[in-house]
Amino acid sequence: MRTSLSRAVGALALAAALTACTNSSSTTTTSSGTTAAGGGAPSGSTVKIGVDLPVSGADASIGIPTQNGAVLAIEEANKAGFAGGKFKLEASLLDDAVQGTHDPAAGAQNVQTFIADSAVLAMIGPFNSNVAKAEIPLTNDAGLVQISPSNTNDGLTVGDDAKKLRTAHPDTNTYFRVCTRDSRQGLALAQVAVKRLGFKKVFVIDDNETYGKGLADVFDASFQKLGGKVLGHEHVTKNQQDFKALLTKVKSLNPDVVFFGGNTSTGAGLVRKQMADAGLGAVTYMGGDGISDDEFETVAGDAANGSYMTVAAPDATKLPAAKTFLDAYKARFKAPVGPYSANAYTAAKIEIAAIEKAIQDAGGKMPTRADVLKIIAATNNFDAPIGKIGFDANGDTTSPVLSLMKVVNGKRVTIDVITLKT
Amino acid sequence: MDLFLQQVVNGLSLGGIYALIALGYTMVYGIIELINFAHGDVYTLGTFFSLAILTLLGVTGVVTGPALILVVTVTILGAMILCGLTGVIIERLAYRRLRNAPKLAPLITAIGMSFILENLMQYWKGPSPMSFPKVIPNPTYAAGPISIQAKQIIVIVLAVVLMFALQAFVTRTRLGKAMRATAQDKDAAQLMGININTTIALTFLIGSALAGAAGFVSGVYYESTWFFNGFAAGLKAFTAAVLGGIGNLAGAMLGGFLIGLIEAMTTQFISDQWANVVVFSVLVLVLIFRPSGLLGESLPNKV
Amino acid sequence: MMRAAPLRSLTAKIPPLGKAAIVFAAAMALPFVHYNGAFTNFLVTAGGFVLLALGLNIVVGYAGLLDLGYAAFFAIGSYSFAMLASPHFGAHGIHLPFWVLLFVASGIAAVFGILLGAPTLRLRGDYLAIVTLGFGEIVPQTFLNLSQWTGGPNGIGTLDKPVIAVAGLFAFKFGFDPLPFYFTVLGLIAFAVWLKSNLRESRLGRAWMAIREDELAAAHMGINTTTTKLAAFAMGASFSGLAGCALAANLQLVSPDQFQFNVSIYVLAMLVLGGMGNIPGVIVGSLILSALDRLILPQGTNFLHGIGLNVDLTSSRFLIYGVILVAMMLFRPEGLIPSGQRKAELHAAEIDKNAAAHEQELYTEAVH
Repeated sequence: MRTSLSRAVGALALAAALTACTNSSSTTTTSSGTTAAGGGAPSGSTVKIGVDLPVSGADASIGIPTQNGAVLAIEEANKAGFAGGKFKLEASLLDDAVQGTHDPAAGAQNVQTFIADSAVLAMIGPFNSNVAKAEIPLTNDAGLVQISPSNTNDGLTVGDDAKKLRTAHPDTNTYFRVCTRDSRQGLALAQVAVKRLGFKKVFVIDDNETYGKGLADVFDASFQKLGGKVLGHEHVTKNQQDFKALLTKVKSLNPDVVFFGGNTSTGAGLVRKQMADAGLGAVTYMGGDGISDDEFETVAGDAANGSYMTVAAPDATKLPAAKTFLDAYKARFKAPVGPYSANAYTAAKIEIAAIEKAIQDAGGKMPTRADVLKIIAATNNFDAPIGKIGFDANGDTTSPVLSLMKVVNGKRVTIDVITLKT
Repeated sequence: MDLFLQQVVNGLSLGGIYALIALGYTMVYGIIELINFAHGDVYTLGTFFSLAILTLLGVTGVVTGPALILVVTVTILGAMILCGLTGVIIERLAYRRLRNAPKLAPLITAIGMSFILENLMQYWKGPSPMSFPKVIPNPTYAAGPISIQAKQIIVIVLAVVLMFALQAFVTRTRLGKAMRATAQDKDAAQLMGININTTIALTFLIGSALAGAAGFVSGVYYESTWFFNGFAAGLKAFTAAVLGGIGNLAGAMLGGFLIGLIEAMTTQFISDQWANVVVFSVLVLVLIFRPSGLLGESLPNKV
Repeated sequence: MMRAAPLRSLTAKIPPLGKAAIVFAAAMALPFVHYNGAFTNFLVTAGGFVLLALGLNIVVGYAGLLDLGYAAFFAIGSYSFAMLASPHFGAHGIHLPFWVLLFVASGIAAVFGILLGAPTLRLRGDYLAIVTLGFGEIVPQTFLNLSQWTGGPNGIGTLDKPVIAVAGLFAFKFGFDPLPFYFTVLGLIAFAVWLKSNLRESRLGRAWMAIREDELAAAHMGINTTTTKLAAFAMGASFSGLAGCALAANLQLVSPDQFQFNVSIYVLAMLVLGGMGNIPGVIVGSLILSALDRLILPQGTNFLHGIGLNVDLTSSRFLIYGVILVAMMLFRPEGLIPSGQRKAELHAAEIDKNAAAHEQELYTEAVH
């Protein structure tokens, strides 16, 4: 035990040194390395926007372009002279993926990091609904506004579930999203399946995660309500590779269509690929925005053709208002946009505008998170590349738009735009 | 009934892959009583090597004619050699020094090695699943009410054939005899003039080469691969080896097929989400009630 | 080692209790060095993992039972807390006070420790490890599947925060500030360390070490291996009940992803790194790994991003743990802070070889 005392004290000293570390250079960075601040901030006042998305692992192919959208907006704001040059705007980028997939506990940790950093006045993210479930109670408690570009699970804004998430302040909402939600997405998909494509019997599979199961449950219920028959509803396991036994079971029930609630990273691609082996190659495959990434076409290969999916965002490449954004994105990142890049860009722009107004209202001083939250909650008719954005009392967008896409010749093609009024 | 039979086919072919991996596992355990956690990852490495070789050969789809035999031979041999070497290197670097250490040490080292391999593979080919070329033509045969694909037949047959080949090797060749001797009593074997370092290295070579072959087969069978495959597959393959009787080659094969069948049947009659729980419960039950496995002999507790 | 000598003679004069008090006081003062919410929050999580490591240490370090599925007990402890301190069950949920739940959750975890340990009683080292690994897979998947009771993939959220209440006088409700959580965790760690130190010197503790060294011999000496092993599992599991309460109340969420195989190995790596079987070693190992995982790797990544390198160190965390495990086992299996006993056990082969060589020397000398 004798040398252990010195070691224990040494460990504590190390820990103390680390405190200093954490303090001085928190967790701030921008992906480009430095931000060109318009004229600099002589008082050293920095405002940060936290960005929590899965940017490593299997979700990276959709997470990184989303993050890029937000980063682009922030860089543009700085170039144009953020808050008249008095403040410097920075992005604090954190990753919530662990060992290849989005992880709620990691997301929660990241949010706590944002909350503890007093320079962070707003945050963007997360990407996945199960991560949002872990984060909302925290942002609600701290009064930190958060806008997600892509969470679609209903229980995040409406119903008892949502109320339960707002633990500390049940009457204040800190969570907003610029995309529509699964009750609309699931309903839209069911309508497409029954009315547009004429299917009568479906087998539903999901990945047993918040988003996947949530969407599949809505689809299941809607499909039945529209008069269709659900032959079965099963959940697959994480990291599962062999779906042949399951698909044989599905084949024996003879569905017209197979619906998968979940992401490519949780099995959507492999299931599609193995459907052919099980004799289900000719059966149509449908999914939500979880399979709207390039990964799906890569993993499923040729089998991906003919699959339908929706994206909880309008197709930016089809909107004239988005052209400037698209050109700027391409010039900056030298890569095509992702399905949610425009959403993230919009979310960032909303936050930037709100922070600027808050600074103005505070007479040029650092505003509080509550100030920023109030302004964002009142967003109405905000001009964005994806259309005019407003938030309702629950934090949902007032103009829900879904894009229906189909995989043709290995590429996703938008075939329709769906606007639901539910 | 038809559905049941079809699931039997599914179960056997899934089990065939487990059997192939289990053979290598059981060989290594038989000789140095080490659960080589990294074995499952060597299997994934085999798929990765195969993919690299196929890309080098320019194969992106089905290969037909005499070229098929060439492509398959080259790829499978390449994967086996590379994986075999990997196994030998791992043994030399990490396990050899710990041969006489308490069981904890090599087991933990094996887990560490597994993590290292998984991450190296992640760096090499990225974190997302990737496509593997079809390579072989895969006609589907109808045998009465059930349909079976050529791929499935190959996997099952290969598992059986390799088991017998290994069995013959171990019982009839000098090297095989050396391996059995070392497995029975290391020190006595050494006294009889057997170079146990070489014997053990060779066991790893063969076991890992088998994993490499299993990797190639798996790539063709699933037409995809992912750096994290090896973990689950390895765990189930080890379950299979234990079920059949660890150290027993026929047991490994039998155990593999059984685990595959259990998975398929659970999926059909209960649901997919309980398949893993059932498999691991089987593992626990076997270890409680018959630790020596189905084909193993009950060993007395020697003092 | 020479430099430590003067310090050693100095510290040798302080009784162990005094040393512990010094360390404890320093730990309490730590967050105030430069108060930072994120860092304090890190300390809470790190502290929770110290508790887990201490628990696993009983099973692996003291009793020598290689448990590769410790996350299963962590899951049981955490879910027990979540189910009994949230709006989850029934119309309004069950809301037992935090301090009561510390006992309840650790009790439930202990019971499961016995249940899951029972099948392993007759098994040798590696087989035992595999069974625990099996349970480590079965338990989180079961929690995920039984979504009616466990919330499925969403887990159970909005958990009650602890309240310190003195009837009629005052009630202090834990809020968002991690500081009260930190002190709670420190208290739990102090309790755990006290308990373990006493256990180690007790008959039970000595029985554990006897089993670890040679089970057959221990049985022949009259030790009831069954109850001894079950006691190890139960005690080890109960610590995870404590950790589960503290961490769940802080994070406000319990979900199956938190209890996968990598968590079991993460905690095991803490023991391997720090020194199995001895308390300061385990604590230090745990803190180092937590710092690595949540401070050093993310900071390093940010630093690299800042200088333009788009490398993500956090995704390499398992590579690093793997290297740590392998390197430690090869070069220093007794850990960074070894207990003399373990060092002797693990280097037994070397010692034998040296003894043999020494004898050879003497023989050669004698002959000449």
